[in-house]
Amino acid sequence: MTVEAPVFEETPPQVEPARGAMDWVRKNLFNNWYNSLLTVALAAFVIWAVVALLQGLLSADYEIIRANLRLFMVGGFPADQLWRPWAATYCWAVMFGFVGGSLAAAARDRATEAGLPYVRTTFRQILTRYWPILVLIVVILSFTTTITPTLLTVGALAAGLGSYYLGRILPRAVRRWTWLIVILLIAASYVALAGFGGVGWQGWGGLQLNLFLAFAGLLVAFPFGLLLAMGRRSSLPVIRTISVGYIELVRGVPLITVLIAGAFAVGFLVPRDVRPGVVTRMLIAIIAFEAAYIAEVVRGGLQAVPLGQVEAAQAVGLAPWKTMRLIVLPQALRATIPAMVGQFISLFKDTTLVAVLGITELLDATFIVNSQTAYLGKGLFVITLSFAALVFWVGCYTMSRESRRLERKLGVGER
Amino acid sequence: MTVTDYSDATRATGEAIIELVGVDKFFGNFQALKDINMRVGRQEVVVVIGPSGGGKSTLIRCINRLEKHDAGRLVVDGIELSDDVRNIQEVRRETGMVFQQFNLFPHLTVLDNVTLAPRQVRKLPKKDAEALAMQTLTRVKIPEQARKYPGQLSGGQQQRVAIARALAMQPKVMLFDEPTSALDPEMIKEVLDVMVELGRGGMTMVVVTHEMGFARAVANRVVFMAEGEIVEVGTPEHFFTDPQEVRTKLFLSQIL
Repeated sequence: MTVEAPVFEETPPQVEPARGAMDWVRKNLFNNWYNSLLTVALAAFVIWAVVALLQGLLSADYEIIRANLRLFMVGGFPADQLWRPWAATYCWAVMFGFVGGSLAAAARDRATEAGLPYVRTTFRQILTRYWPILVLIVVILSFTTTITPTLLTVGALAAGLGSYYLGRILPRAVRRWTWLIVILLIAASYVALAGFGGVGWQGWGGLQLNLFLAFAGLLVAFPFGLLLAMGRRSSLPVIRTISVGYIELVRGVPLITVLIAGAFAVGFLVPRDVRPGVVTRMLIAIIAFEAAYIAEVVRGGLQAVPLGQVEAAQAVGLAPWKTMRLIVLPQALRATIPAMVGQFISLFKDTTLVAVLGITELLDATFIVNSQTAYLGKGLFVITLSFAALVFWVGCYTMSRESRRLERKLGVGER
Repeated sequence: MTVTDYSDATRATGEAIIELVGVDKFFGNFQALKDINMRVGRQEVVVVIGPSGGGKSTLIRCINRLEKHDAGRLVVDGIELSDDVRNIQEVRRETGMVFQQFNLFPHLTVLDNVTLAPRQVRKLPKKDAEALAMQTLTRVKIPEQARKYPGQLSGGQQQRVAIARALAMQPKVMLFDEPTSALDPEMIKEVLDVMVELGRGGMTMVVVTHEMGFARAVANRVVFMAEGEIVEVGTPEHFFTDPQEVRTKLFLSQIL
């Protein structure tokens, strides 16, 4: 299973080594008259664009964001209930910290047992990995008017860091229950938001709604996608036909069609008193849509597991479903992690589509604030949209970099 | 069809543990096995040789039902292989198999590879399964690699782990499908040594291989297969000194 690197005997073509920066510039940017012209023109344009952008951003009045920050973050969540989203944030900070810590400890133990060197992640590496998130946090905090949010954010980061170290030092027996702690903390965050007179997800909005739709959508769609993927490979024609039919039908339709169908068609079909709220219908539409895409991702992973693995499992007498659960799925799912993160990134961006149905998620919020009387006709779209763009870019860029890192790690690690 | 010496192929030393009677196997229109009759006795070591595409692998893959035979009877340790899933599972529990490409589970440590089946199929408690695994790993001479992953081992070590994985189920029969063909030359010996020791220890073995040195060391009989048929059967000595069939002579002249 080890692949040996091919050995190249021939010498690489001799390239004259560059002698300093000036030499490189002359050779690559000014090597003839039209390249020189192009270089000058493009440089002038880039400088003008950057200066104009910086000027615009620095001289702009950010009152519109400052006044509407709550709307962007949590939509119409009541101002006197803001402790609830904060409590939920703490739950998630603790969860991410704890999971990160116990994963690191598990990797360390595995490496030690296998006699491999374990390289601890340094603080600097974490900083290079997550600097966009830190920048985003600073930008958002710069729009707050009191010191409280800053203190709470620092507290949340500290709580996350604390749980990270807790996850690292806890004994293995406790670490085995990490999944339970994750479920409990997610449940706790929901109770903090909605329980005891809080606001259920029908009333959520802003970034909180985008995150909720993306996380819940992918999480619930995953088991359905898994079933569809296995159904597609089933030897029973009925199951196979249904799976293929569903997957191809959904994949042939844009998400917005499914969302509109969820919003309006369901309204016709289901009587008013049992009809779920519009956010629930959006969530169901997203789950139905994502299941088909996850099925294809998982199918790719299943195909990546060699037939020899199944034969080896059969040869030692493993029953078919145990072969699937213990041999095929662990390898297949590990291979799909990068693609799954890609799916999550595109879903996170696609959650802005629910705006067309009048739900105030982040993108919609940055639009509608421009019709508030104080800002009407002032052309502040650029500012509010830049803010939304920054939030989405930081989220997607960080996840995409993490997924590439995972891909490299899984590629060379234990396989 | 040339003269086929069934008498020798059918004869087993003592009581038969594997019995094939008139077994046919088709892949589409291609007939991979043609009327195979063969018996393997308890504690017998049978080496199957022959040109590629001759049906050697198909033959032993039928014995543990990785391939389904299309006609004839196939009985392993008194259990007839049929469409009955329970029979198939029972036969697979009694037969260990070693593949050309090792087929170790890359996401599990060596120890987990070896304990998986005893724990999941034989329902052994974790402690007992690990003790048994260390025993079999010692038998193939790599107990010190137990905590490593397959990807960290050399080809020869991986194949020995694969043998240990099969042995951990305490099978009555071991099937080897070209176990040394994917190995670098310097690693072949360490695997063959383990196999020779197994054979001398009284394990019933059916081995598809071209290692005639192995055949000479432990094989009770050698079976030469070509074009889906058993062409010639005899002792290793017989094949070295006095092969009868034209196809056998031609093949031996190519590999020896």
